[in-house]
Amino acid sequence: MNTFEIFWKYRQAFISGLLVSLELAVWVWIIGLVIGTILGIIAARLRKSIGRIVSVSGAVVTAIPALVLLFWLHYPLQAALQVVINPFYTAVAALAIVNVFGVAVIVKASVIDFPSQYLIAAKVCGLSNRVTVMKIVVPLIVRQMLPGLLLLEVTMLQATLFASLISVDEIFRVAQRINAIVYRPIQIYSALAFLFICVCLPMNALAHWLGAKFSILTSDQ
Amino acid sequence: MLVGKKVEKVFDKFKALDEIDIEIQPGTAMALIGPSGAGKSTLIRALSLIDPPTRGEIDIDGVIYRYPSIKGDRPPIPWPRITVVFQQLFLWPHLTLRENIELPISQIGIQDCWDRAKELIELFELKDYLSRLPYQASIGQRQRVAIVRALALRPKYLLLDEVTSALDVEQVSRLVECINRLRNEGSGVVIVTHLLGFARLVADYFMFIDRGQCVEKARITTLDNPVQERVREFVSFV
Repeated sequence: MNTFEIFWKYRQAFISGLLVSLELAVWVWIIGLVIGTILGIIAARLRKSIGRIVSVSGAVVTAIPALVLLFWLHYPLQAALQVVINPFYTAVAALAIVNVFGVAVIVKASVIDFPSQYLIAAKVCGLSNRVTVMKIVVPLIVRQMLPGLLLLEVTMLQATLFASLISVDEIFRVAQRINAIVYRPIQIYSALAFLFICVCLPMNALAHWLGAKFSILTSDQ
Repeated sequence: MLVGKKVEKVFDKFKALDEIDIEIQPGTAMALIGPSGAGKSTLIRALSLIDPPTRGEIDIDGVIYRYPSIKGDRPPIPWPRITVVFQQLFLWPHLTLRENIELPISQIGIQDCWDRAKELIELFELKDYLSRLPYQASIGQRQRVAIVRALALRPKYLLLDEVTSALDVEQVSRLVECINRLRNEGSGVVIVTHLLGFARLVADYFMFIDRGQCVEKARITTLDNPVQERVREFVSFV
């Protein structure tokens, strides 16, 4: 059986695994983007207190492999607390922690590095704070952050593969199961790679395109 | 009247402005001249309260801003009653040239400002470029947009920091026309420039600044025969 035949034969399993992976990723993205953005803005405003805590925590959390974090949350922590949590939610929690700090660091840097000249221009033109934030600050910061955030979220999507370690039926675990039946690892993992390329490549390309577009926008200012 | 009293600006230990006194009457224009790094732009930023003085007093039509400011003291916001066109222009890069001009006017919402903007766009021949983003426009076009953006707001005091660097002779003469009109309408204008010819055309007075200090302050006609040796030396090079 070639890659396509395997993919076609087990398409339902692959698709259900991919859906679990995407559901996991969507949860991680939403939690990370919402809490990370709020944390990043607070960290930028309170640079000396919360800002430092976020920077140090971000450096520590991103230094810990996601796999280890997942293992800690699933086994020792749950044993210590004497609770049993659905592995899917454990995976969401572990990956969301990494994403929250990743997003917070990007947001904090973008807010701090926001070019003051645009605020000065807004001031002397008499723009109110609300208009300055809505029409100048937010659109520019979003443009600046978007490439970095997209690349981070692609990485988070790829990190969902680690959830197979704690028995979440995401795509990697599905692929392992199929491999246990047909034993065609090269074809099966190639099919897996193909699915990830379909999802991640456009996101990576979009991130690079947006990055280039933003740097052109501000190149001559 | 726009008045700066004993305006001092210190960056770390460097005194960029040293007790400068300046007065701009409504309907008059003053040219700030002097060598590069003398403190002309710093004075503009201090007068406009964008980068307030370390010590001293700025009086805008009777509203006094004292520095160092007293904690809890919240004097009214002076912009765009007093506005600035900066040398670096500071156009918002994600907005088209049209949006750069229209956003501040839409905030004020005075019909007169819209009419003025339309008129200025025609005058500075910007109509064909308004859909461009700043990076797609030439430096001269961007400079004209920054000028139109400020002039359309009908400021009571307009501070211009080296705004003629990328304008051709024709555009400079149009700017002179606009400044003169603004003066006739009762606005006060401060112009930082290295072009003494331009200063002679638009200004009533000049102030020569060197190393953060006012060396000479007089009517613009005196520029042909300055009192101070340093000013005479500077003028002879231009």
